[in-house]
Amino acid sequence: MSFARTAPLIERRSFLKMAGAAWAATLAPGSAFALARTDAVYASGFMAPDGSYGIATVTEQGEIVEKVALPARAHGMAYSVATGKSVAFSRRPGTYAMIFDPAGRSEPIVISAIEGRHFFGHGCFSADGRLLYATENDFAANRGMVGIYDGTNVFARIGEFPTYGIGPHDMTLSPDGKLLVIANGGIETHPDFGRTKLNLDHMEPSLALVDTETGALVERHTMPDRWRQLSTRHVDIDAKGRIWFACQYEGPRNDLPPLAGSFAPGEDIRFVDLPEEATIALANYVGAIAVNRAEGLVCLTSPKEGVAVTLDAVTGKLIRQETILDAAGVAASPKAFAVSSYDGDFAGRHSDVAWDQHIVRIGRV
Amino acid sequence: MRLLTLVTLGFSLLATVAVAQDSNGMTPRVVNEAAVPAVLAKAVDDFIRPGYLDLMETTAALSEASHLFCEEPSEESLGNLQLVFDDTVQKWSTIEIVRVGPVLEQNRFERFLFFPDRKSTGLKQVQRIIATKDETATKPETLKIKSVAVQGLGALEYVLYGTGSEELPNEANGFRCRYGAAIADNLAEVAAELHDAWEKPDGVQAEWKKPGPDNPSFRDNKEVVTGLLGILVHGVETVKDQRIRPFYAGIVDGVPDRGHPKLAVYWRSGNTMPSLYANFTALETLFNISDMRSLLPADSKSVAGSANFVFKSLVRVSEEIDLPIDEAIADDEQRAKLDFIVLNADDLLQRLNKDFGGAIGLSAGFSFADGD
Repeated sequence: MSFARTAPLIERRSFLKMAGAAWAATLAPGSAFALARTDAVYASGFMAPDGSYGIATVTEQGEIVEKVALPARAHGMAYSVATGKSVAFSRRPGTYAMIFDPAGRSEPIVISAIEGRHFFGHGCFSADGRLLYATENDFAANRGMVGIYDGTNVFARIGEFPTYGIGPHDMTLSPDGKLLVIANGGIETHPDFGRTKLNLDHMEPSLALVDTETGALVERHTMPDRWRQLSTRHVDIDAKGRIWFACQYEGPRNDLPPLAGSFAPGEDIRFVDLPEEATIALANYVGAIAVNRAEGLVCLTSPKEGVAVTLDAVTGKLIRQETILDAAGVAASPKAFAVSSYDGDFAGRHSDVAWDQHIVRIGRV
Repeated sequence: MRLLTLVTLGFSLLATVAVAQDSNGMTPRVVNEAAVPAVLAKAVDDFIRPGYLDLMETTAALSEASHLFCEEPSEESLGNLQLVFDDTVQKWSTIEIVRVGPVLEQNRFERFLFFPDRKSTGLKQVQRIIATKDETATKPETLKIKSVAVQGLGALEYVLYGTGSEELPNEANGFRCRYGAAIADNLAEVAAELHDAWEKPDGVQAEWKKPGPDNPSFRDNKEVVTGLLGILVHGVETVKDQRIRPFYAGIVDGVPDRGHPKLAVYWRSGNTMPSLYANFTALETLFNISDMRSLLPADSKSVAGSANFVFKSLVRVSEEIDLPIDEAIADDEQRAKLDFIVLNADDLLQRLNKDFGGAIGLSAGFSFADGD
């Protein structure tokens, strides 16, 4: 049994009931990342040709190093430099997250959302890697929550605080570890209605900075009235601590809304002024964003028209626009970015999988 | 049952082979632009618009039967009204698979059917209206501004089949009956709005038929085809996750779920399985009447055949579950049919989302770009 022995029984039970015991058996000691090699630098969720799901570690050149099966589709991932651990969250409205060591030094730990909550598919570790933060839905109250999990105690849930918005999606940590940067997408969902968006006519998107020590709201940015249907969904931070955000627009398809922007804590948000051609190519839907801090670059991907748009992190100007069919995840590479696709491409190399929406960089760039 | 499952899985392998060939370069993975306009025209003109027309006509009949029953109550006129109610459930369960467009505006979907009602919030509101004889619930104009939970099919089902309904034939123009008639009027009004919205040539039907840069919903053929496949995929997902799982979770760790029959939609009127039957039939009809097969490259036509095989199995088996839903769950043979539906609905999702989506040039059906 690969679950940590001290994991709360009730969570294990409910998870096994959901996932099926057969899958749990695949997590037997030694089977997950036991052959880990040091050249694995990325991890991403995927769908196999038979329709099953998993996560894989991948080299800089896009070669798959190893795969591990998952019981349901994964979504966002995070990595802790301090502990070397990664986490994969199930796709919303999923109820599991798996914490694993890409180097195979310890067994994976699976946690389940508590009663009345589900995960939104993203989260991050604290600076010291001892805590895991997850965006969650308190669906009865229709409010976003951050669930806090203790890495020193098999990631038991030890607390929570609000995201100060509804429908939180992506979340990251400020470089000093003191703030959580939360993209409250502003869209109401409820597991009784699957992924159906319940409030498109009165969305409340916002970006919230929350104190990791106290859970207090430090600042919150809403979208301008004209762009109330601009759902803030993904975030990353550049070398100067500036927060970059990417959006998906729920308004008329023939609008041309701003789809990304940035701000430094304490400042107003500033939208990126993209050329119309790039805005059209992003098709009102940025699926992922990544910053390359060393190179001062920001990359936005969109699967709808299949494009990756690279910006200068200082000026916000467009540097490059590449057509990548079914562009999915993006993460920093040594010189620019690695981009994956639903079609199986990863950094230009094809594998017989459909890559999921996000890539995490394992280790330092 | 086992044989059915095995046969279905056999088709699944065939479909996988076909798609694998496509990805090996036999056919470029692009949307068949030439085929799209006819497919969308058929989907709108031969499925969606007739579906709302049927709903408008049936709810008009429901309204008429309700008022007639209130004026001249009898066991016979109640039976007649209940038959029209069953027919309304059928017509709604057909067109409700279209969870896009006008039905999602102004809470029309929830006003027509508020479900699920996990904590019985809606039920309690309906019971309170009946207990307090709230006259504002007997007029459509004041009923429609009340909670969505008290003005749709679920509320009418409670009026006609819930506790106290046995008294209905004994009192002319009684409160309960007039409340039911107001619900029927409300349903007819919503259905007429939906019908009118889809009949406007330059309205929502044009959005589906003529994608383009100025279209507020779909920019090109790929987007509109994704939207059409999305109706099917989300329709199957909804039946599986929101209509079946709440009352029957299938076999968990080798043991059949004991079930929660009172969480099933329309359990009071015995319309649970007839409704699921109509859902599956509608999905199959939309797939075929719009000739989605024509979107497939010549070397991948078998993908449509294998999807149709599962569609037909689901339609047939859902019709074979003919006991009231609580008895069906307790009956080994009928429960096995529910297991079959759960398993094959999963399989159908794969075929549509991955096999069919991939074969017609979409992103292997991997994402509908809906918030990931």
